[in-house]
Amino acid sequence: MRELLGRLSALDHGAESAVRVIAYFDALIDGHAGLDALVRGAAVLSGCPAGLHDAARHLAIRIDSEGHRLAASAGPARARWPVAALDEAGALVWLERDDGPVELDAMIVERLAAGARVVLDRTRGRAATRDPALVEVLVDRHADADTRARAARRLGLAAGSSARVVATVPIGEGGALPAVLRRRHTLLGRVDVSVVPHAADWTGDPELARRAGIGPPVPVEELPMSWEGALVALRLTADGTALDPGPRQLRHAELGGLALLATSVPTAAAQIADVAALDDLGRQLPWALATLDAIADRASLRRAAASLHVHHSTLQERVAQLARLLGWPLDTAAGHHRLYLALVLRRLHRNGELPTLAG
Amino acid sequence: MTSVTRSHPPFDPELAAVLAAMPAEMFGPIVIEEILSHRETILAQQVVPDETLRRGGAIELEERRVPGPPGEPDLTLLILRPANRTGLAPGLYNIHGGGMITGDRRSGVNGMLDWVEEFGLVLVSVEYRLAPEHPHPAPVEDCYAGLVWTAEHAEELGIDPDRLAIIGGSAGGGLAAATTLLARDRGGPALTHQLLLCPMLDDRATTPSSQELDGEGVWDRNANLAGWTALLGTARGGPDVPPYAAPARAVNLSGVPPTYIDVGSVETFRDEVIDYAARLSQAGVSVELHMWAGAFHGFELYAPQAAVSQAAAEARLSYLRRAFGS
Repeated sequence: MRELLGRLSALDHGAESAVRVIAYFDALIDGHAGLDALVRGAAVLSGCPAGLHDAARHLAIRIDSEGHRLAASAGPARARWPVAALDEAGALVWLERDDGPVELDAMIVERLAAGARVVLDRTRGRAATRDPALVEVLVDRHADADTRARAARRLGLAAGSSARVVATVPIGEGGALPAVLRRRHTLLGRVDVSVVPHAADWTGDPELARRAGIGPPVPVEELPMSWEGALVALRLTADGTALDPGPRQLRHAELGGLALLATSVPTAAAQIADVAALDDLGRQLPWALATLDAIADRASLRRAAASLHVHHSTLQERVAQLARLLGWPLDTAAGHHRLYLALVLRRLHRNGELPTLAG
Repeated sequence: MTSVTRSHPPFDPELAAVLAAMPAEMFGPIVIEEILSHRETILAQQVVPDETLRRGGAIELEERRVPGPPGEPDLTLLILRPANRTGLAPGLYNIHGGGMITGDRRSGVNGMLDWVEEFGLVLVSVEYRLAPEHPHPAPVEDCYAGLVWTAEHAEELGIDPDRLAIIGGSAGGGLAAATTLLARDRGGPALTHQLLLCPMLDDRATTPSSQELDGEGVWDRNANLAGWTALLGTARGGPDVPPYAAPARAVNLSGVPPTYIDVGSVETFRDEVIDYAARLSQAGVSVELHMWAGAFHGFELYAPQAAVSQAAAEARLSYLRRAFGS
């Protein structure tokens, strides 16, 4: 005889109940249910409150068997409650079974944990960073298109959508990666390679203690090209210090002809004479390189003086001195161009240890 | 008749999980003959004892035999009211569900006792004759007769006659809608609100949603045809069915009291409910419509703990507070 009406409520022991527990959680996962629904299901099926706690992801959920939310706790309050771990970092789920033990509890809490892991992988990644191997594949032009498409999907990037690569290195001891660059990230050599969806619109952050080469936005299928562009831009950046003056963050789009220069110059080449001269000057006079960078970078001497916080006439004297030491005029257009190129080539040379995309 | 089953919206994940975890037979095809042969057993399994309804003395329970329609048998009303009542209270006239063929005056009443306590209201639940033994118009005329008696004896029951509302779920929702139309057309009793919960309104069963469920979910198209046929016999779907049997057929919906109407998005009744809400509104009636995403028919009864079930209960309570709270 069939019942016409029944209410899903606490199941007791037995193989049939176990099958129903599995069916319940499988259906929740198939239906892309969230953590609340999973914890609630465990509470309903067991007949006692269920909880989840994950400090690293700032998650705390407790729900009773009527489906009502309870005040969260930092973990199971009693040692004898059935518990299952979500990861190695201390995230847990549990059932608040005081009148136990009940045979089915172990299965319920295990199914809850398995389901929660699937949800967390899908929605929050592992420790807020998606698998680095996927990013590596995604920017690798030698990987075949299908493999890269799969990697894109698993990284939550829709086919055909727009994204860019941001290549960064830290400056000094600081420069922790911000969340937007950490979400889809890998390390290649000493470069942090981040894939950023175009929608996130990351085009640099002056507060960030990192040098950054910002690749052009491309369809996700063409991210290897954006990676190349990001790397080229990165090689043209500098720490922005006295010994290493220059821009910290560059977008590939603003490089113009410098991009070609950067890809043409062999990084391990012997120093060009002008670059050696700059290095010598930097060793002799601590203010020399910053001054030369300011002159090269600013449209007028007056603006250069302002950026250096020196008097205009002081700067004029210094420029004369530097021109003598360098051996070419710094007050002509040609001299300016030669200086600018020398500074760029110096940066490329200093960045020679950055990976290149050869072959 | 051949027809292609349309695809339906997905079930809410928690409700899908309930469907997956409950015994398979519970959601299989509803065979009317089987229900009829075991009706007493089914009802006995679902009975809620008096002491549960009395809530330790907080609620008074009374059963009354009252006259049925002219020339028809008497019928029974179940009356539940707060024990410590003072003065006249709002009244709620309840018509149970069960596909027109089963259920009784106690079906679902337990779930309304919180309202009795919160609003101090008097709940009156009618035992109407069931199809197929008693086809239309017996069920709706019983419901109307019980309503008339309730209104005429309002003060004796502790009900303010100006604050009487009607509620019904599923087949009870259809009967409530029909009883409301009868009350309008027969000059009374006056109703302040009607609450139609997943109501069964349209015997024609030609809407898109009435084709979407075939052996899936709860109250699929086969059960629906069987239920309507039990009520209307061969007249089902034909030209001679009046709106007091199938309220969706009513042409004039003006003069109907303010209405709360809800339905799940994966229900046979979905489209007839939305249509009824639209046409009531077009006739100038104040309507509150809720469609619950991914919900199947009766979802709140099968899975009251699910998030969507809690939301539905909250929404209904909110409306009742606005209706009765003043």
